[in-house]
Amino acid sequence: MDPAEVEFLAEKEMVKIIPNFSLDKIYLIGGDLGPFNPGLPVEVPVWLALNLKQRQKCRIVPPEWMDTDKLEEIREQERKLDTFTPIPSPYYMELAKLLLNHSADNIPKADEIRTLVKDIWDTRVAKLRLSADSFISQQEAHAQLDNLTLMEINTTRSFLLDSLNYMYKLRSNLQPGRSQDY
Amino acid sequence: MPCERKPMRYGHSEGHTDVCFDDEGKCIVTCGSDGDVRIWESLDDDDPKSINVGEKVYSVALKNGKLVTAVSNNTVQIHTFPEGDPDGILTRFTTNANHVTFNSSGSRVAAGSSDFIVKIVEVVDSSQQKTLRGHDAPVLSVALDPSDEFLASSSCDGSVTVWSIESQTQVAQWKILQKSSDVSNAKSLCRLAWQPRSGKLLAIPVDLTIQLYDRNTWTHVSTLSGDLISQVVNVVVWSPCGKFLAAGTIGGNLLIWDVEAKLCIERQKHEKGFTVCGMAWHPSGGRIAYTDTEGCLGLLEGVSSLSSSSTVQKTNDYDDLFDEDDDRMLDEGMSDSRSPVKKPIMEDDDDDDDLMPATGRPRNRGSFLDDDDNSQGMSTLIKEEDGSSAILPAVGPAVSRPVYEGPMPTQPQRAFQPGSTPVHLMHRFMMWNSVGIVRGYNDDQDNAIDVEFHDTAIHHAMHLTNTLGHTMADLSQEAVLLACEGNNELASKIQCLHFSCWDTHKDWIVDLPKGEDVRALCLGQGWAAVATSALMVRLFSVGGVQKEIFSLPGDVVCMAGHGEQLLIVCHRGTGFDGDQALGIQLLQLGHKRRQVIHGEPLPLSRKSYLAWMDFTAEGTPCCIDSEGVVRMLNRTLGNMWTPVCNTRDSCKSKSDHYWVVGVHENPQQLRCIPCKGARYPPTLPRPAVAVLPFNLLYCQTTTEKGQMEEQYWRSVLFQNHYGFLSSSGYEIDSEGQSRAEKEQQELLMKMFALSCKLEREFRCVELAEMMTHSVVTLAIRYASRSRRMALAQRLSELALEKASQCQEEEQEEEEPAYQRLKSNMKNVNMEKQKKLKKKRNLSVEFFFDDQITALYFLCVTACVTASREGRVNPFKVRISSSSPAGQPRTTNVLDSMTMSSRKPAPISGTSKQGKAPVLKPLAPKPKSKMSASKGNSKKLEDSQSEAEKVKPAPAATPPASAENIENRKPKTGFQLWLEENRKSILADNPDFEEMDVIKEGMGRFRTLSAEERLNWTERAKGDSDPKKRKREDEGQVDEQMESNEGSTKKKKPLDTSAKLSAFAFNKE
Repeated sequence: MDPAEVEFLAEKEMVKIIPNFSLDKIYLIGGDLGPFNPGLPVEVPVWLALNLKQRQKCRIVPPEWMDTDKLEEIREQERKLDTFTPIPSPYYMELAKLLLNHSADNIPKADEIRTLVKDIWDTRVAKLRLSADSFISQQEAHAQLDNLTLMEINTTRSFLLDSLNYMYKLRSNLQPGRSQDY
Repeated sequence: MPCERKPMRYGHSEGHTDVCFDDEGKCIVTCGSDGDVRIWESLDDDDPKSINVGEKVYSVALKNGKLVTAVSNNTVQIHTFPEGDPDGILTRFTTNANHVTFNSSGSRVAAGSSDFIVKIVEVVDSSQQKTLRGHDAPVLSVALDPSDEFLASSSCDGSVTVWSIESQTQVAQWKILQKSSDVSNAKSLCRLAWQPRSGKLLAIPVDLTIQLYDRNTWTHVSTLSGDLISQVVNVVVWSPCGKFLAAGTIGGNLLIWDVEAKLCIERQKHEKGFTVCGMAWHPSGGRIAYTDTEGCLGLLEGVSSLSSSSTVQKTNDYDDLFDEDDDRMLDEGMSDSRSPVKKPIMEDDDDDDDLMPATGRPRNRGSFLDDDDNSQGMSTLIKEEDGSSAILPAVGPAVSRPVYEGPMPTQPQRAFQPGSTPVHLMHRFMMWNSVGIVRGYNDDQDNAIDVEFHDTAIHHAMHLTNTLGHTMADLSQEAVLLACEGNNELASKIQCLHFSCWDTHKDWIVDLPKGEDVRALCLGQGWAAVATSALMVRLFSVGGVQKEIFSLPGDVVCMAGHGEQLLIVCHRGTGFDGDQALGIQLLQLGHKRRQVIHGEPLPLSRKSYLAWMDFTAEGTPCCIDSEGVVRMLNRTLGNMWTPVCNTRDSCKSKSDHYWVVGVHENPQQLRCIPCKGARYPPTLPRPAVAVLPFNLLYCQTTTEKGQMEEQYWRSVLFQNHYGFLSSSGYEIDSEGQSRAEKEQQELLMKMFALSCKLEREFRCVELAEMMTHSVVTLAIRYASRSRRMALAQRLSELALEKASQCQEEEQEEEEPAYQRLKSNMKNVNMEKQKKLKKKRNLSVEFFFDDQITALYFLCVTACVTASREGRVNPFKVRISSSSPAGQPRTTNVLDSMTMSSRKPAPISGTSKQGKAPVLKPLAPKPKSKMSASKGNSKKLEDSQSEAEKVKPAPAATPPASAENIENRKPKTGFQLWLEENRKSILADNPDFEEMDVIKEGMGRFRTLSAEERLNWTERAKGDSDPKKRKREDEGQVDEQMESNEGSTKKKKPLDTSAKLSAFAFNKE
């Protein structure tokens, strides 16, 4: 899966916007949106929010978790624990990237949030790598990883699967006699 | 109590604080453990000036524009006052100073430090220092004698020492305090105080008492105490006049003594019982400021009024108490039981530490009990109690002065712009309404106004420099209106930015006459209104033409405009006990100018003021008081105010509020901004609007019934605006209106079904009265299907009334057409009557001879319908409408109704479909029948008392069975009966024409019981020609088939009722 595809999925997440135009309900295959009243928050998918934002038709209200205090807490938690902590949004990385890139002016302390999200991401990906490493080195047959987001899984999937395949091949070549063990 | 304790307010972060007044008493100056010195204009000052002087400030003193602070970096600093610029370091210690104080002239500063040293420094030349060494523990407090001769200091070593400043030697020393190791462990701050002016007495807080020492002899002269004090005294201060002494204790007690009389004249308790650690007496003596260890600032007002009260002399001989000073320590041990806060001796309670962990400043602590302090503890205690008991009665007269105790007038609330935040804020919303936001910035760099529109289609955002200093604003789709109050040089101005103007001059400015200030303003459609301090309202056109002016009965509070409506709220008089007395006027400008509301009182919650007042988006006045109750004008209830919501109900915490920005009726939305811990939102970060639902304050909204009632009345209330809008010539959303009506009727039907289930039949009828005609028929069906015949009967009567009302309404609408109808019915117009007779003959030929009489009426109605509608063949109509309806003998209205309402689907049988043409022709017939039966019922009593009249209530008629029978055996039963009874009818009413006879006959026949009717039909069956009957039956069956098409299954009553009830309850 391409990261762009994951991002595409993330764009289906709902986000609150404050439109500056008036429009009746719009009826889409995915569901009805609106009505849009100027000045009144309304929930729309991220793709529409960004589109409207780019046309300067709305202000985006950042999701509740996109707040320095909350993210700091999560970061601390993430650093403290060995396992993955539950993340407020399954698309936190994608949403943070999309919203911060397109509507940083509507998000208070955008730079801090960017750093914090990056920190959380780094911590989690490091953990993921570490666990993959121990998984391989201990030659485990299965492992359980909770609270991973799609993007995180996606970053490691192709590499991990390929390398496991290779290793399997190498091992079975190396020890043809004992390949049945696996 | 004569003096008033103002509520505490947050001053500093938790920890030790100190307070003083400036020389004139204009400002209160506080310091705290957050390292700030704050200068408060008053207790209500929301924006005190803050000067950061260090990490922590232990003590502050102010004199002659010099602010001296003892700071945690071991220095004593000077700042200028009130500017707060640093003015150098006065002196340094090896550790922090605990207390600084000025002498009376302000030339010297004394400071006592934790390094056991007391220093006296000249303010002008800090090199001239005098150092007093001799204490063996940290110095708690220092006090300079008014005549600059002596200095008193208290220390943790348990001693209070008086020093001669000149010689820097100890003059006197008393070991009266408890020893402690550090300031943080000391029981009391032991702030000393010399009597002002003479300096004759030195007051020392010693444990639970205050001891006074004489200056000349250095002997103990008296003790101020009493059982009023239950905790260790922390701070003492003299009044500027030197007559009174105020003390603050660990547990938050504030006491004031008349020193001469040794009377405790005032006693107040800190509202939360926190330790008082700083006190200052206002230079005029009227008030005392105090701070506590939680960083809060409080004020006692009206202290000066005490001075007159304490005249009673106390003649206790205190000489025998003279030696008690050595006994204090033991006393304290014994009095532990009286002071729960205090823990004995060394067991330092950790809870206390938690209270003020940041500072570790002196407070209520256990301390060392000196072994030698024990001699006469008991006796002292007893004496003390004697003293206090002697004092107590003396307090009486002070309290029982004649005081006005009636209701106190309320400060009238000031004028405000709805949707604005207070003027004193630097960044504020000047207006937030449904159109946009006007923000005002008034800080050092900038004085500007930002106008932003919710809908950018109206206009782009604007940024204006606010050179005139506008404080009021309103915003509409056409213009921005700004206004400022005048000052000595400049008159009050109104500025209007008319951005929708099509010429090039988009703004205009108007000066008000000298001395007249704008108080409130608003914009409507094409006009602007300004209320001024001269109790006048000035109207302008939006282009700047001056229009009407008129006077107001009182000071304006706020105004609002919408379309052509102007709403003015002004004071009607003085409110009492926290209530406001507001009056409201609603004016209709535009073409038909009139006053809709004439200054009636505006209802508000108790002890609240008006917080917001505006029109809803649909144009209904709406107000919100400070208690968060939203009220809306109910135009259909004589312009009364109905509370529709309480915003405080949705608040999570007590200090949260909702700041309302708009009310919409369709959809029902209360748009507001949630404010955490405040009444107003800050401008940054940009607050987000939330939507609250309305909730009428109906009883028992937890039950189904209550919920539905609330929903129904809410729907009715929020639908009122349709009527208003259409009556004032606006276009209305008719779809929305019919949707609302449908919703209401559905709710009524649900309630009806619920009451039916609960067997509340009377209530059912009450509900049915609120229904529209067409829904009543549905209700009748429901009732009959659930076998409530009495109810169905009553409902059918009700339906008739409703139908006649309907008819009357229609008559009003289509006057000429109905005129004819009416005359037909009443046989006033003979010509018409004849015409009708012809028609009847025709119809008779078309049908069967022996049916004429019974059919007659239906024919009439059918004809009328035909003539009214102008295109329908009367015969056609007659056939289709009459035959399926169980033929002319639809003696029970229920049947006809049921039949008629079969056509529309059961649910949609509301409002619009309900008025389907099927019903209309039927309506007049039941009406006349009704009137006939009603009008003659009395007379009938006699004639019908014959054998046939043993009938039960007519309601007992089981309509379903009757219907069936009648369908099978039509026409002839009534015919026979009528034949027999014609005579008696005619005998009763000799002047009756044939038509009236039939009418009468139908009425009577209806009242017969089912059995009797059955009898008649049986007889008719026997009598009548079988051939004819057969033909007739066939014909009828055919017709039925035709008209009912596939839906003949409705004949099974059980099935339908099951369906109906399923509908009613599924929807709930």
